[in-house]
Amino acid sequence: AADVTWNVSVWGKRRAFTEHIEYLAEKVAEKTGGKFEIKIAYGEALSKSRENLDGISFGAFEMAQICASYHADKNPTLTVLELPFLGVEDLDAEVKVSEAVYQHPAVKKDLARWNAQVLMPSPMPQYNFIGNGDAPKSPKDFEGMRVRALGGIGNLMSAIGAVPTTVTASETYQAMESGTVRAASFAPHAHLAFKTVEVGTWWTANMNPGTVQCPVVVNTDAYNALPDDFRKALDETVPAAVDHYLATYAKVYDKWWPELEKRNIQQIKFSAEDLAALRAKAAPIYDQWIKDMDAKGIPGQELLDLVHSTLGN
Amino acid sequence: MMTPDRSDATAEAPRYIMFDGVLARIENGFNLIAAASIMILMLLAVVQIFGRTFLNQPIPGFIDITEQAMAVFTFMGIAYCQRVGGHIRMEILLGKLKGRALWIAEFFGVFIIFLVVCGLIYGSWFHFQRSWSIGDSTIDIGLPTWPSKLIVPVALTLLALRLLLQLYGYWRLIADPSRTPLSVPLIMDVEEAAQHEIEEAFGEDDEEVSR
Amino acid sequence: MTPFEVGLIMTGVLLVLVLVGVRVAFAAAFVGLTGLIIIFSMRMGFERGVITALKMAGTVPHSKSVTYSLSVLPTFILIGFLAFYAGLTKQLFDAAKKWLGWMPGGMAVGTVFATAGFAAVSGASVATAAVFARVAIPEMLAVGYSKRLAAAVVAAGGTLASLIPPSAILVIYAILVEQSVGKLLIAGFIPGLYSALIYILIIVGMAAWRGDAPAIKGFTWSDRFASLPGTFPIFAVVAVIFVGLFGIDIGGYQFAATPTEAGALGAFVVLITAFFKGMRGRQLGQALHETAKLTVMIFTLIWGVLVYVRFLGFAGLPDAFRDFIVSLPHDPMLTMILILAAYAVLGMFIDAIGMLVLTLPVVYPAVMALNGGEAVSAADSTLGMSGEACSIWFGILVVKMAELCLITPPIGLNCFVVAGVRPDIPVQEVFRGCIPFFVADIITIGGLLAFPSIITWLPSMM
Ligand code: NA
Ligand code: NA
Repeated sequence: AADVTWNVSVWGKRRAFTEHIEYLAEKVAEKTGGKFEIKIAYGEALSKSRENLDGISFGAFEMAQICASYHADKNPTLTVLELPFLGVEDLDAEVKVSEAVYQHPAVKKDLARWNAQVLMPSPMPQYNFIGNGDAPKSPKDFEGMRVRALGGIGNLMSAIGAVPTTVTASETYQAMESGTVRAASFAPHAHLAFKTVEVGTWWTANMNPGTVQCPVVVNTDAYNALPDDFRKALDETVPAAVDHYLATYAKVYDKWWPELEKRNIQQIKFSAEDLAALRAKAAPIYDQWIKDMDAKGIPGQELLDLVHSTLGN
Repeated sequence: MMTPDRSDATAEAPRYIMFDGVLARIENGFNLIAAASIMILMLLAVVQIFGRTFLNQPIPGFIDITEQAMAVFTFMGIAYCQRVGGHIRMEILLGKLKGRALWIAEFFGVFIIFLVVCGLIYGSWFHFQRSWSIGDSTIDIGLPTWPSKLIVPVALTLLALRLLLQLYGYWRLIADPSRTPLSVPLIMDVEEAAQHEIEEAFGEDDEEVSR
Repeated sequence: MTPFEVGLIMTGVLLVLVLVGVRVAFAAAFVGLTGLIIIFSMRMGFERGVITALKMAGTVPHSKSVTYSLSVLPTFILIGFLAFYAGLTKQLFDAAKKWLGWMPGGMAVGTVFATAGFAAVSGASVATAAVFARVAIPEMLAVGYSKRLAAAVVAAGGTLASLIPPSAILVIYAILVEQSVGKLLIAGFIPGLYSALIYILIIVGMAAWRGDAPAIKGFTWSDRFASLPGTFPIFAVVAVIFVGLFGIDIGGYQFAATPTEAGALGAFVVLITAFFKGMRGRQLGQALHETAKLTVMIFTLIWGVLVYVRFLGFAGLPDAFRDFIVSLPHDPMLTMILILAAYAVLGMFIDAIGMLVLTLPVVYPAVMALNGGEAVSAADSTLGMSGEACSIWFGILVVKMAELCLITPPIGLNCFVVAGVRPDIPVQEVFRGCIPFFVADIITIGGLLAFPSIITWLPSMM
């Protein structure tokens, strides 16, 4: 039997989004001869996704996946990575910028309130829209359109005149079919999972409005209590686990492009001027965010600069 | 619920009767708030449908608002429901018991509830406390969640008081089964349960239904 | 002791507590909390274990209750309570009598139609039986029906309420198994009508054979049409729910609604009708009070059981039961029938909602696995249904089993209610009268087992 068992709280089924944790569990067990067992509990069996940080804080489980935007006030510093139009080109860049932010003392302090620290990112691609009806030729055509977009992307869509309408993820398909909303913003795997591809006729291929930030966190006490060789096994496996995640996620696109083809979904590309105009709309959102952070005593400008400089070099 | 003659017990346990009365008033108030919140939810949803369909004006954050407000009608009536015996249970074995044996079984049942409710008051208080001191907000429009989380320990505390009262109510019957049961839900056999359902279906105003 | 063994023992404790009459919601929460304490204590010592368990359990009531899809429940319950004041029962029965009275057993057939119609606004089976016992039985007796038949048709007709939408119990099922609430609601419609149809065939057959249910004549076509407007709110509620869930284009406006919104709009329609029928503020207050009470009861049951389910998650019990069911050597369909039979037996002793919330967390994953998993396609499944279809199919069947138990001894509450409303009819007589309807239900269930598409076709259109 194992000397140390860690429970991991995850929502949903096993999928590309959770493959780095699966990989980690397998390799850590291998490296420690089965003495360090990482047990993954899917489907919110251990906690509702929104309450994973709570469970971590009092040690009900040792590891969990969280998404910053599910509860912005629980982890305000991480939401810097969810601001619209940061200019993240691909998942590699997302990993790089995420890891730089995790190292910032303000972020560490933020998560330490939950007795938590980040182990690794679960990089998510840009939340482009799938919609039906007349395809928007420019962002102006979003005016008056009811869209499903949460948090920062929702703010951006309001700024360009769209009408963010709340619909739960699982109801999105039906909401689009019945016209409650005309477009929805998700990562490609979620567009597939929630079947928006079946009711959509267009996809904003290069709008790239932003994404969500979903790291895997661990309970700091449990991490520190690990025997040295176990901790080493864990730490050393993380980079390979992230690589494995990227490789698995790439396969989502193997399904994604043919799916768009097959369903005749028009790929909309906005012009450079249009995109620049969109980015200009995001500027006040950045300012507001920095103001909010200042009010909390968090160096928002510093975090945003860190993001820009990391992506710039 | 049966309302037995209270005169003998008023002399025997006056404070108990008074405590019951005060508590019942608070419980009624809480249930009234819960009832009102259901009415408001209904109207808000109607506004949401019409606003979205005809004016292209959905209520911003409708789901967030609904979810946080749900704590009102999911918890505030909980003590009232316990007082009137509304939480379901299986009465097949209980219905066979009489006298002291029945009161001991009832006491045991309430005691189990009391234990778990005390544990949950502690746990839900910390759930509220984290959202208050560290922070938590809803996904769409960023409403703070602590007010809604605070409702849970408050409503459960009211329930715990009701349970204490019921424990005393059964205790005095265990001590002397000849006493009149007071302020405790009484077990109904299936015919009484049917009678109860009939009363519920027709309300107090018979002519309303038969009109 | 392993967590799994703790799970098994505590589940046994739960059964005992429920059996000795501890209120189900709290018995489940108590067992869940105690189980968490044991499991965490084994991991981290008693003191820290207790505190961790309390904090873990303390997150469940709020986080599990405050869920948008559950907000539909009070709206449906409110519809049911307001429907009494909207005077729908009398008008429904009146219309049904005028349209169907001409055939042998016509008044009984009309009663089935009227109860089915009323069921469309009320999710409450027992209350439906109570109301129609008063409205329909006297009229049937007046034209020479036997007491046995008149009473039984009302008791049995009431059971349609949980299948025909709106139905709170189908919402609870959908939430517990994380299936679409809208699809479950829509799925109940055809099986509800199908159940009613089988009842009608049985009634007409018996009436022709036994002659204890004479036809009534003398209504004109203008009588018949004049009776229709009173039934309008029923159609309005059904239309709001159907059209809302499916979505429609009204002159360029896209009308669509979530279950909560549809329920709220339905309640609003019935509320307005009730005010027109002379409902006063005090009665609205009473209806709201009753709605609040029933709502808190159901929510407490849900989160209480989910504390227990959280503990099962840490103990790994559902996985083990699933493996056991899947490993059974006989035909999967036979296993399914045995599971349903077990529900029929269980339903004789505990009410429908309690039965569902207590058993589904363990039984449902096993049923899904039996069919080949939640994501299985119809072609790869063992029962010939996709994972989603199987989940909907099972839900309707389980609810039908629970409804069946409302007309079987020893605690078939519908029969007691009818007998209670009619002091002149002994309950044994009602139970005896229900035997043909029990047979009808067995035929219905057989049909649903053999032809799952009766259940799954309509939701697959959504
Ligand atoms: Na119904
Ligand atoms: Na009787």
